Amino acid sequence: MAALSRRHMLSILGASVAAPAIVRAQSSEPLKIGGMLPLSGPASIEGRQIILGLQFAVEEINAKGGVFGRRIELVMEDDESNSTKGVTAVRRLIEREKVPFIVGTYATGVAAAASKVSAEYKIPMLSGGSTGALATDQNTPGDPWFFRSWPDSNAQGEDTAKAIVEKFKKTKVAIIHDNTNYGVTLAEQVTRVVGTAGGSIVSRDSYNAGEQDFSSMLTKLRTQRPEAVYIGGWAGDGANILRQAAEIGLRAQFVGSGSMLSDDFIRLAGPASEGFAVASLYEASTPNPVGKAFGERFRAKHNQDANTFSSLGFDSTTIALEAMRRAGKPDGAEIQKVLKSGMKDFPIVQGPAGTTASFNAKGSVDFPNFIAVIKDGKRRLDI
Amino acid sequence: MDLFLQYLANGVVIGSTYVLVAVGLTLIFGILGVVNFAHGEFYMIGGYAGIFAITVLGLPVLPAVAVVLATAAVVGIAAEAILHKPMKNRDATSSIISSFGLAVALQNATLIVMGPQPQRLNLDVSKIPVLSSLPTDFGPVFLPQQRTLIPLTMVLLIAILYVVLRYTWTGRSLRAMAQHATVARLCGVRVERVAVVTFMVGAALAGIAGMLMSSIFLVYPIVGNMIALKAFTVVILGGMGNVAGAAAAGLLLGITESLTSGYIANSMRDIVGFVFVILVLLFRPQGLFGKAVDRS
Amino acid sequence: MKTLLAAIAAVALLAVAPFGLGGYETNVLMMVLFFVILAVGLDLVSGYCGQFSFATGAFYGVGAYTAAIMSRDLGTSIWLHLPAGAVVAGLFGLLLGIPALRLKGHFLAIVTIAFQTIVYLVISQWTSFTGGQVGLTMPNAGPVRIFGVTLFEFGSLRSYYWLTLAMTVICLIVAWRLIHSRLGREWVAIRDDETLAGAVGLDTTRGKLTAFVAYAALAGVAGVLTAHSLRGVTPDDFTIWISATVVAMMVVGGRGTFVGPIIGAAFLATLPEFLGKFAEYKMLIYGVLLVLAITLVPEGVVGRWRARTSR
Repeated sequence: MAALSRRHMLSILGASVAAPAIVRAQSSEPLKIGGMLPLSGPASIEGRQIILGLQFAVEEINAKGGVFGRRIELVMEDDESNSTKGVTAVRRLIEREKVPFIVGTYATGVAAAASKVSAEYKIPMLSGGSTGALATDQNTPGDPWFFRSWPDSNAQGEDTAKAIVEKFKKTKVAIIHDNTNYGVTLAEQVTRVVGTAGGSIVSRDSYNAGEQDFSSMLTKLRTQRPEAVYIGGWAGDGANILRQAAEIGLRAQFVGSGSMLSDDFIRLAGPASEGFAVASLYEASTPNPVGKAFGERFRAKHNQDANTFSSLGFDSTTIALEAMRRAGKPDGAEIQKVLKSGMKDFPIVQGPAGTTASFNAKGSVDFPNFIAVIKDGKRRLDI
Repeated sequence: MDLFLQYLANGVVIGSTYVLVAVGLTLIFGILGVVNFAHGEFYMIGGYAGIFAITVLGLPVLPAVAVVLATAAVVGIAAEAILHKPMKNRDATSSIISSFGLAVALQNATLIVMGPQPQRLNLDVSKIPVLSSLPTDFGPVFLPQQRTLIPLTMVLLIAILYVVLRYTWTGRSLRAMAQHATVARLCGVRVERVAVVTFMVGAALAGIAGMLMSSIFLVYPIVGNMIALKAFTVVILGGMGNVAGAAAAGLLLGITESLTSGYIANSMRDIVGFVFVILVLLFRPQGLFGKAVDRS
Repeated sequence: MKTLLAAIAAVALLAVAPFGLGGYETNVLMMVLFFVILAVGLDLVSGYCGQFSFATGAFYGVGAYTAAIMSRDLGTSIWLHLPAGAVVAGLFGLLLGIPALRLKGHFLAIVTIAFQTIVYLVISQWTSFTGGQVGLTMPNAGPVRIFGVTLFEFGSLRSYYWLTLAMTVICLIVAWRLIHSRLGREWVAIRDDETLAGAVGLDTTRGKLTAFVAYAALAGVAGVLTAHSLRGVTPDDFTIWISATVVAMMVVGGRGTFVGPIIGAAFLATLPEFLGKFAEYKMLIYGVLLVLAITLVPEGVVGRWRARTSR
């Protein structure tokens, strides 16, 4: 009885909230698309940056009149980086909201579990930040249902490692990384490739994401005299490490993961960020004209630089919307067909100039990472 | 050897913040019997209050400290009203559950208001009179001034706390409450007032720690989680409710962690603390520095 | 008798529910059932035996990883994983129960947090064994055969839902029997006054350890079911937030009332689904709800209701 009346109350509440939307919908019914990200829980820091890219893409397309003359409505689900929630969210988006595609999600494990379900419904998913190879490797080659509009983590690790050894000419490399999926995968790949490219690893250590005091770890690192130090992890921790390394006078070429290329990072690390280098899929001063234009529009709206997270969210969303337009109807299976081969001319904001959404057989897009270096408090690609 | 001294110094700095947070926690437990899982959030709020005062209001350091203290007072009053007043005559788990709920609520409210990005307090040491004249090299040991500030503040605040507890009427009431609440009440101690003061002191110590630490580290909505866990470790090692024990254990934990990073691996440092605490709980539940008395 | 009939009717309704519901609703129901097992398990040790625990997520994870690792290394089936998950998680429960022999209230709460953290670190860091942060994927549980005749094929959501429902019923019956056994009464005696319970000759050591083992084993079963239905495991499904959520479910519903945690689980597990746009406030709402519940209705919704009606 109690449950019944609660449900009753909720439905009344829901109706009163939804009422204005219904009135508007009579003129032209909005077309719903799905988004799924961790908005609470451990990965919400990233999720809340990625969502800006999704929302920005939807706002822009609506300003241009939407798709098929219909306004686009983004329906967001919070998966909490939890597979159980993720699978439920996918079913909800597909069955209740009838979305033709889903942009999501961030955690690779969740993306892998959720995309298995969405494939059963013949609804394509486009990664909302998941970079791990696992999610695309489980696709049937030639018939992927999970798409990622950038290379997997192995490629970023590889490009970074090559930059350390070949561009910066450093051979004694120390690796530090956080214990998240992101940091661990990158660190493993960098470790492997530095070895094959002719460098050597002098030490490897890890920290918990959010740890504050790195002074003793860095003091120890200093005694091993590395020529380069690779940091795999989140921007806040990376900035902390850089500052504390500068304090104790640890001099080496610092190289970081793609997460560490934002205005926030430079602000947090201060002068210690001079000379810091990073492999990145996107940054606001990209030579890619499409990306640069996106960065300027984003900055005008949000008064902050677009970064890797917002750009990938933007790309996944615009690619899917364009694929839907080309398919001619909001139908998952048709959109997947277009994504597989019909998007090779569509420019994206990530990657170097001329990068397009040409997905390979496994559902991934291949392009080289940038190596950006911070100079005079600004990120530069030409050093 | 030089390296060892440097690790030691690093440990003392980080240990000093553990002391500041843990002493408040142990006071609240010892005097009121409240296990405050929201104590890490006092630290977090102190950090944000400091950044607000210095970056947004543009205040110099001392007025900024006053802002942090005022915020801490409000937080203390509110926390007492939530965690202590309605929980009298309840079992210990009630305050644990309630404070855990409060911690979750505060973290997520901060996440919504401040956003997930970490913030840093830009404290220009060269403008602070005494501090800017401090040396940065102590023999083979190097410490930047912001870092030296932390153990200095810790010693100062703990000394003030000691004097207050020892020689003022309020301090005597607090100690009386800790020893025997009912007798203290009979002797004319105003229990409600003591409870509020205790929470305010705890929030102030943690808040100051949060402000200091955000100048060398960062502050973000869930920063309190790890700090609270460390503070609990310290409180247990020092013996629940034992202020001097918490001070000693805080430094000990900081040094242990630092040496673990230096000589074993940084990835082990948190685990070492946990293992330590489980061992102490199993073999010496009264804490390293506690007397073995059974309290019913 | 009335209660029994109501319970049978509820189970029957849940059993036919997938025919009238879509995949999403079935999935939500299945998630509720996972949480029902977890919350009822926690209630055994916390509500009945009075030993607080923040480690539910750890035992849940131990069960799930037992299934995933056995499936990877031994190629065994879900029928073996269910008892194995319960046993392995139960052993971990015994391990956590040992400090509980000496520690009370707040001390124990902190040890359970440390335990939860250590288990999470192990499953997320020991990459060669647990797959690290990415986790492990698992094949479908495969066909169910009796004497060579395929009864039904595991793989569809419904088949997992029915298995989960059946296991939930079994877990609830086991919990019910335990509570109403001599052992269950010993738990309550320990909760109400441990010194007295010891003084009248009850074996408090055995009482506490069995409560921890029962709690952990139930969480382990929920873990095996979750791993198989998701066809994989990831460490972030087993964090302290899961533990905190389960504590909230138990407290809001009512500690030591049996029905309370079930209602609490059903309410809090479905709450985010109703919040819609406000889902990002979910943890804030959980936190506030937890504070309000423990302050205003410490005996829980069901506890309060029972006190009302018995008067």
